[in-house]
Amino acid sequence: MSSNAQVRAKPASLASSATFRTFALVFAMATPVLYVICDMMNWPLFTYHPGTNRVDLGWAPAVKDEGPAMYWYGWSGSTLLGSAILGGLATLLPENLTRKIPLSLTWILPIAVFPILVYSLKFFWRW
Amino acid sequence: MDFIYDHISVNTFWTILFTIHALLAIALLGALTHQAMSVLMPVRTGTMSNGFVTRFRAVHGAGYATTVCVLWTITFIFGAWIYTKYRIAIRIPIEQEGFWKTQGFFELKEHYATIGLGLLPIYWIFWNNARDPQYDSARKWLTVTLAAMCWFSFLVGHIVNNVRGFGS
Repeated sequence: MSSNAQVRAKPASLASSATFRTFALVFAMATPVLYVICDMMNWPLFTYHPGTNRVDLGWAPAVKDEGPAMYWYGWSGSTLLGSAILGGLATLLPENLTRKIPLSLTWILPIAVFPILVYSLKFFWRW
Repeated sequence: MDFIYDHISVNTFWTILFTIHALLAIALLGALTHQAMSVLMPVRTGTMSNGFVTRFRAVHGAGYATTVCVLWTITFIFGAWIYTKYRIAIRIPIEQEGFWKTQGFFELKEHYATIGLGLLPIYWIFWNNARDPQYDSARKWLTVTLAAMCWFSFLVGHIVNNVRGFGS
């Protein structure tokens, strides 16, 4: 452990909670995976139309003469909601099971989805 | 928002929001870069060097964790707010000019802004249990990953802003 990492002597109560640890761990692992799924499958929680400030539940097409439709807010909403649900469900599992989840997945998964996200944007890679 | 437009122009309003977003991003970038350097190249006890690089990586990384979480969240909110204006006033001209790769990188930046948001709770736990050796490796590489995402987002945002220019 580095000398810098030893600065905090007493962890906060939330930080030492096993339940919150499980929630946060599964939330972090689920976010990149669910985001890619929502992006690739086009599953926004809602669609925002910035030209008219209208919000439609789920996916909705752009309306003619009313400007574009925005899905990123909806993808983010779907992802964070889904990750929170999975994180909440994970807290119901026995701790000896959740302790076996590799912590390294929290940084490996965001990197692993990079090529998939790049592929999902293939429309823009015009040379 | 109409009462604001009685005092300042629409252009000035969005320019102020964008400037706040940029300043928050700079603060976040600085905090994460210090922290990433502190875990990648920790200063060992008894190090005699007192140079710039040593001082840069000698920060108490744990003290940055909550600030990084707050800054990422607020920067995200401001970014999401100005995105509504960007979609109409910036993206459409970018597409008309055929800057497709620029727009593609912007989309990637938005993707990672959301993914980063989801990593913050466990990142906070890792740093608030800095004495627990089971978290050492994950804390180190998650911090480096978040720093890389932040640098990527910052540079793409800077480049996209240059396409149309400040205040456009």
